[in-house]
This record gives sequence, structure tokens and C-alpha cells, in this order.
Amino acid sequence: MSVRTSVRLIAVSALVALAAACAPSTNSEGGGDTASGDKTKLTVWSWRTEDVAAYRKIFSIYEKDHPGTTVEFKPFKNTEYNTILATGLTEAGGPDVAQLRSYGGLQPLIEAGNLVPLDGTAGLSDFEPSALEGAKGRTDGKVYGVPFATQTLQVFYNKKIFADNGITVPMTWSQLTAAADKLQEAGITPFATTGKETWMLPILHDTFAAPRYGGADFAKAVQSGQKNFTDADYVASIDVVKSLEKYFPKDVAGVAYTDAQVLFTTDKAAMYPGGSFELGFFQAQAPDLDLGVFSAPPPDGSPVDHALVPGYTDGSYGINTKSKHQKAAKELVTWMATQQFGQLVADELKQISTVPGVAPKDPLLAEMASNYAQNPTPYLLLVDFRYGDPSGTDLLGAGVQSMLLGKSDPQQVAASLQKGVSQWFKPKA
Amino acid sequence: MVQAQGLTTAAAPRSTGGRGAGNRATAPRWPLVVAFVAPAFLLYTGFIVYPLASALQYSFFEWRGTARGAFTGFDNFTKLVTTYPLNHELWRAFLHNGVFFIGTMLIQNTAGLAFAIWLQKRRGKRFLQTAFTMPYLVSPLVVGYLWSLILSPTFGPLNAALRAVGLDSLALPWLGDPQTALPVVILVNAWQWVGFPMLLFAAALAGIPEEYGEAATVDGASGWQRFRHITLPLLAPAISIVSVLTFIGNFNVFGLVFAMGTSEGGPAGSTDVLELLFYRTAFESHGDLNAIGRSSALAVVMFVFIFGVSLAANRALRRREARLT
Repeated sequence: MSVRTSVRLIAVSALVALAAACAPSTNSEGGGDTASGDKTKLTVWSWRTEDVAAYRKIFSIYEKDHPGTTVEFKPFKNTEYNTILATGLTEAGGPDVAQLRSYGGLQPLIEAGNLVPLDGTAGLSDFEPSALEGAKGRTDGKVYGVPFATQTLQVFYNKKIFADNGITVPMTWSQLTAAADKLQEAGITPFATTGKETWMLPILHDTFAAPRYGGADFAKAVQSGQKNFTDADYVASIDVVKSLEKYFPKDVAGVAYTDAQVLFTTDKAAMYPGGSFELGFFQAQAPDLDLGVFSAPPPDGSPVDHALVPGYTDGSYGINTKSKHQKAAKELVTWMATQQFGQLVADELKQISTVPGVAPKDPLLAEMASNYAQNPTPYLLLVDFRYGDPSGTDLLGAGVQSMLLGKSDPQQVAASLQKGVSQWFKPKA
Repeated sequence: MVQAQGLTTAAAPRSTGGRGAGNRATAPRWPLVVAFVAPAFLLYTGFIVYPLASALQYSFFEWRGTARGAFTGFDNFTKLVTTYPLNHELWRAFLHNGVFFIGTMLIQNTAGLAFAIWLQKRRGKRFLQTAFTMPYLVSPLVVGYLWSLILSPTFGPLNAALRAVGLDSLALPWLGDPQTALPVVILVNAWQWVGFPMLLFAAALAGIPEEYGEAATVDGASGWQRFRHITLPLLAPAISIVSVLTFIGNFNVFGLVFAMGTSEGGPAGSTDVLELLFYRTAFESHGDLNAIGRSSALAVVMFVFIFGVSLAANRALRRREARLT
């Protein structure tokens, strides 16, 4: 081989290698359109890397009853999932069935035409309308996913610390603050919470102050344009968070989310305002921790006279428009609307299933679910104010943080929230 | 390293004899040229030029998810400066990047120069150089999370140590106070990268002939005078390169700030920088259908600014070097 030939060979092979790397792959391995033997293989994408084992178990049960289908569960990193899914749905090799974010987070996929409408799917009409709201298209009102879990917001507490200090579950706001004072005197942080990670701050606000602004009634008034976030009751609800600041860990704006969790699991703090999604973590990290839950009693001056449990649809499962196995995929998501799947979600994933009539075996999860069923209210900023940019949760999170740092007062926080969302939110007159 | 090569050619006396080689009457061997250039050219085009061009293209359209909508001209750009709170955040991010750059120049690069001079003729130079450059082998994200743990007000060893020796008043919530957060991040960044200017300055110092300093000593120059009038002017090319690279690096800082101040650049936006703002616009704007359009516009603005300033600064600094040397 002459030098010239070998140079040509190298050049050509380099080009071929590059072209192959750039060209869209035609044999989409691991994608939705492979069929092993006569079996249909469905790929399910998810952001729950921590649930791999549980989902394998769940889908093996499905496979047993549906011999013609195999289901591959493929999770991606939570924080990168949205981007991966958005691109995955536009090309070959994407999932057949995908775990979908709820409310605003779902809209870009619907608008891009990536998802199949599921209206009329068996069992779906029995779901609570509020649960289905999280899986609907904002513009066309169609349902694009089968919701799998509801998250609720409440206060977790350490039963042992409560007993040691002679505290019972507070039924009124003054009992709550009296309990916090007592704990503080005993050298225990009353509430473990983060002030650093702003996504938790609207959760903190709604956990304690949803009754103060009036919960679902206020949500309706905002939707119709009768009220907005500068309303005196809403401003007062932000002030509730400020009034609790003295019970938070010292220098709360520097306390990370995980720090707050560890404060609670290591008995350094007595209560932890948070979501039902924390239960699994607490039980795994501190199996000996004697956990209890309660909903914060209404703060003084509240238009509502009882505790409220804010909640929202966590996500749903929908079908990729480009999936080659529409029928098998439809069968799978239809199964996800059944009691069987709902019970598996409750017991294997430790989540509150959205399927009507499912009762979790875990007593705490069951308690949270029944509390929510009795006194539900939407986690307003997530449910209704994530349909544009800036989102309500981002604005309130940033606002509450700056309030905790003494840089702004409740009026300014409310004004900033109103100013931000009014750029895209128009009330339905 | 490209920078290091530039440095040595700039510092070394220019030879004129090398040109003769090109006079040989041989035709350029095109297949060979193509074979050597093609891989780099294709990779560079595919991974740098193409994404840049597509970002520019994307920024002129309205997006609905991943579906491209109508051509909207400069609408995405005007929205950057008119949408609340993005308009505030944009200027704040520019300001913080500026502060980051000035702080890094003053702390990291001054310290880098000091270390380079201090290590110049010291025993154990190799070992110390390696020690100083070690942190930059670690990912900025890891460094950021590590320092977040060290500085944590609840469990951090730093504040525990301060309290143990009675310095309770100094046990501040370092990353939880808007006054201290940005300076702390700049210091941690300097801790990580100080080895880089140190190595560049050390290479440049090695290129300065010793005779210059000796001659000045004979003439009665003090140590400071030798540094100020001989070493420093001859280091000008290295200082230019370090400055421009620091500028580019600091205006693209992401991992460290992300780890230490979350994606919001907290607390209260006191560490918010351009890259975080881009990250939020592109990947964290929950219900924004037009996230691709808006974030592409922001990316274009950032690129034009960083590229433009680097180019202008490079030119200005070259001119100044020419005057100094």
C-alpha cells in the first residue's frame, strides 16, 4: 500500500465514521419499535431512578397478565428528565409510554403534538376532576395522561419529642405557637425547614397559611378576577411565614433542603413542614423515628375555620404520538387507571394513588390520604400558576426568601408575585 | 495547550530563519492536508459552529414546546429586557459576573503571580506547583458541594471550629447571607483555580533572561524596582492572556455557583450569574412554552457580549504590550 493510498483510506474512514455518528440511527435499539420474537416491547420513561426495583416488580405483574407484552422501565435523572423527554419524543427511539410532569410542565409537550389524547379511556372518568386537571391540555381541555399520584402538604412531627415535652398535636394556632415556644426553650428547633432552596418555600407557605388566604375559595376568586395576590388575606398569609421565622433553624436562608431533613431525622428538630413525597425518605433514613403527621390549624384571622390540606397531582403516564405500538401502549395506560395498579403505587412506591378507592397499607400514608380527602385545597401556585413564565412558585419562592433575609416585607412579596404572573395570567371573566 | 504555545512564541525572540522551509517548490499535498484537518474541522463545525448557528436561528422564532412557530424577529430579545423579573435578573447577573471577574483578577490572579514568583527558585517547586494545581482537577460541582458542606451553618465544620475557639461572632451563615455569599464563592473559585495563572506566570517568568535582572542589580535597582520595571513589563503578554481567559471563564461560570447557591443563585439572587439565568430560562421555566426561543436569545446575547469584549480586550492589550516592550 502506497503512502497516498493509506492517507486516502484514513480520510475516507474518518469521514464515514463521522457521517455514521451524525446520521440519525435507523435501527433504533432500545427504542419503542423493537419486537423480540412475537412479543411487543414497550419502553416506559420516568424521572424516578429511585423506583427502579419497585417498577420492575409492578410491570412484571402486568407482563404475567399480558403475555404478549414486555415492559422496559427506563428512568433518567430527575433534573434532566424534561429535556431528555422533550427531545426523546421528537425522534425515533423515544419511549412508548412516558411519565409526564403535571399542570404547566406538561403543556410544552402537548403544544408540540407529542402526546396522544386519552379522553374516553376506561376508568379515567371515575378519577377526581381535580386530579385529572393536572394531566389536561390548557388550550384544548383534553386529558393526555393517567395521573398516578397525588402529593399532599402537611407537618411531620417526631412523636417521641412531642411526648417528652408534654406536647399534643395542636388543634388551634395558639396551641401550635405555644408548642413551638416550649420546644425552643427546651433547646429543640421547632420546625426544620430550608430557606436556601426556594422551591420549598411556596410549599412551606401553603402548608401553614393556605387557610389564612382562604384555600380553594380564594383560588376561585383569583381565577375569576375578583381577587388577586395583593388581597389583604393573601398578604397576611405571607406574614404567617414571617411570624414563624423565629421557630426555624438559625440563619435559615443558609440551611439546605437536605440539612433540614437531617435536622429532623436526627431528632434535632421536632417538626418538618413538607410533602407526602418525603415519607419514603424519612422512613428509609430513620427507621426508628416515630413519625406522625398533622395539618396545621388555621392561623388567627383565617376566613376558613378548619385545617386545610394542600395537594396536587404529581404526574401522569401518557402515550408518545410516535410510538409504533399504540394499541399495546393504550392497554398499558388503561391498566394504570385500574385499582390493581393504584394499589401497587400505594404499597410499592409509597405514594398516594389517584385511582379512586385505593387505600394505602402504610398507616401514615393512609392518614395523609384521608386528611386530604376530607379537607382538600389546591396547592394554588403549582396547580394554577405554572402555565407561564415567570411561574407563581418561582416568584413566591424568591419573595419569601428575600423576606426571611429581611430584604422585603409581605406586601412587597405579594406585589412582586402579582406583577410577575399578571404578565401572562388573564382571569376568566 | 494552545495558550501555553501562544505564550512561548510571544515571549521568545522571533526567528526569521524558519521561513526558508516554505520556499521549496513542492505542490501542497491536498489529501494529506484534508486528512489532518478534516476530523478537527468536522468536530468543531458539528459541536461548536452548528449549535451556535442554530441558537441564533432559534432565537428569531416563537416556540411551542419543541415545535417551531412563527418568525418573530427580535421579539425574544425585547422580552428579555421587558419581562418582570427577568429584566431585573439580567442586569443583576451581568453585574455579578463583572464583580466575579474583578474579584478574581484581584485575588486569584494576584495570588497566582505571587506564588509563581515565590516558587521561582525554590526547592520543592515541583511539589508545591502540583499541590497548588490539584484543586482544578476536581469538578467545580464537587468543589462547590464540598465547600457548601464545610460552610453549612447547621453542620459545617468551619463554623463549629470558629465557635470552638471562641470566635462565635465570626461564625456567619456564609452562604446564607447575601452580603457574604458572592465574595465567598469568588474566594472558593480562586482557591480552585489559582494554580492556572500560577503555571502560566511561571512559564513566562522562565522565559525572561536572567541577565536583565542582573544588569539592573549592578545598576543599583532595588528588588521592587526590578520587579516593577523589568519583570512586570516582560510579563505583559502573559498577563493579557490570563486576563482574557479569566474574563471568558468568569462570564461562563456555572458549576460552582450552581452547587453553592442553587440554580436561583441564592440567597435572594445574590450569587445569580448569566449561566444560571440561562439554565433557569432553558430548563426550569415550568410552564413556559417558548423556553427554547427565550433561552436561545439569552445565549446569543451572552455569546455576542463575551466574544465581543474578549476580541476588543485582546486587541487593546496587544497594543499595550507593544508599547511596554
